[in-house]
Amino acid sequence: MTGDIPYYGAIHEAFVNEINKRSAGEEKIEIVLQRPFPNSISWSNAARKLIAFDVDLIVTYGSPAALAVIHEKSSIPLVYAGFYEPEEVAINSKYATGCGFKVPLSSILRYFKRVKDVNSLGVVFSSIEEDSVRQFDTMKRLTEQQGIKIAKMDIQAQSDLDKLKTQQSDVVFITGSSLAHLWLDDLVTILEKQQVPVADIFPDENEAGVLMTLFQPSDTQGEMAAEMAWQILTGTRPADLATQTFRDTELVFNLIEAKRLGINFPIQLLIEATRVIE
Amino acid sequence: MRHAPPLTRRFWRFLFTCLLIWIFTLATALPVFAFEQPEELLIGIEPEHNIFDQMQRYRYLADYLSDQLGIKVKLTIMSRYGEVIKRFKTLRLQGAFLTSYTATMGIKELQLEPLVNPVNLLGESKSQGFIFVRKDSDIRSMNDMRGGSIVFVDPASMEGYLFPLSFLQQHGVKDINAYFSRYFFSGSHASAVFAVLDGRADIGSAKSTAYYQLIQNDPSIGPELEILAQSPKVPEVTLCIKTEIAQDLRERLAGVLLHMDQTPDGKKVLQQFKALRFVKSSKEDFTIIEKMAQEALGSLTVHGK
Repeated sequence: MTGDIPYYGAIHEAFVNEINKRSAGEEKIEIVLQRPFPNSISWSNAARKLIAFDVDLIVTYGSPAALAVIHEKSSIPLVYAGFYEPEEVAINSKYATGCGFKVPLSSILRYFKRVKDVNSLGVVFSSIEEDSVRQFDTMKRLTEQQGIKIAKMDIQAQSDLDKLKTQQSDVVFITGSSLAHLWLDDLVTILEKQQVPVADIFPDENEAGVLMTLFQPSDTQGEMAAEMAWQILTGTRPADLATQTFRDTELVFNLIEAKRLGINFPIQLLIEATRVIE
Repeated sequence: MRHAPPLTRRFWRFLFTCLLIWIFTLATALPVFAFEQPEELLIGIEPEHNIFDQMQRYRYLADYLSDQLGIKVKLTIMSRYGEVIKRFKTLRLQGAFLTSYTATMGIKELQLEPLVNPVNLLGESKSQGFIFVRKDSDIRSMNDMRGGSIVFVDPASMEGYLFPLSFLQQHGVKDINAYFSRYFFSGSHASAVFAVLDGRADIGSAKSTAYYQLIQNDPSIGPELEILAQSPKVPEVTLCIKTEIAQDLRERLAGVLLHMDQTPDGKKVLQQFKALRFVKSSKEDFTIIEKMAQEALGSLTVHGK
């Protein structure tokens, strides 16, 4: 795992369920789970540990963990999941395959603009997490096109959350950063005090503090990773399995949060939601 | 004084009774042939994405028509696309602004007369169905669509259901349940576009006018979508009137609407109604929809209702 956060936990749960289903009646598959703290050294250490265990297959969740394993240049097959837009990253390893997801960040900006005048957007990301940086870059490009100011909110340590106390953006977007989601409760508490609408691309497990989430459901990635893992364990070469990017999303609006922020969701906006938290 | 013989009296009584029956029959039969001169015109509207904005726009028009015709013109929203024909009867409507598919049904089933079409601010009185995907998706052909999810608008929409269904059938898709992982109805053209933009559906269908309107409101949408197929153009909205309404009133109604872009008051109302002008409509405009429905659905009907 790139970080011990609920989204990757849910992918892992779906993976375990599916792989157990597929291996039912066969020799039990032993799973060693590494939950490193989200930083380069920990990802690297976790990858090296698994390689040292001489496991048959490594599964990763999130692009930083996958890239850490690939960096070790091991010949142990790798199946990645929870990888943001894998086709955008040059994965140069014949031992790696997997699945990822894409969330149209333009939609988040669009929905923000439908509930509030947006002149500035704060983006919570982590400069040490490759996928989070790419999401920031995408948002930067989109805001530049639309004449919206963007503010970087780089989280590398818990103390960085203090920077949010002085932020002045109209709205805040949280990228798929493991560090940000590790401290999500603290993060939204700070932003709540500032009455700032927040959007996220990972589900808000506590259903408190995030106004809207647009995310790719985790179970499909877990199941796909399990299918790929099973094929590799039964003889298929990773290079023969095409990578897959899931683009289906779910949109959740939190009306409790909207009420707290004094935002009146137009009815024609609410009907777009897959789910409304009331 | 001479008394008529009993037989002659019976004859006259018989003749008088027959005359009464004939007059009564004629009187009761008359409304069938006579034209209605209603005290007010009740016009139905099919709901759009933003019903509040829509009602406001149509209210300006209704007020103008009331002034010009000297007869109260009232509006009512007809719940859903597919219930329009039923509502036409139960609400005792004299006319309705109908989208192309329901207009075709109204012309065929209720013998409505298509009077006029509004020309929107982009200069279009007609719309066409689009089938579209996100540009960054891998879907470019029918084969790429297999296993994806598709969003339609409503079973009674030409642009948002009949056309894509017909297109899919022409390309060999016999069963949408089997071909797609999922299909659903968004309820509005704008929602279908947003569903594809968000990734809630891989493939979408919607009418061109709604599609371009959204792009006009938010130019960031255009570059994100790719149109894969488009239908022939059909009237987007048509004011259809019952033929029982007096010919004189129908002609005056059409006349007021067709000439309102030539008067300052009319122009102002058109601006509020968000149209440039009205143009004359004809039954022939709807032939293509009936043909498409016959091919795709087997008959002109509201699928699934």
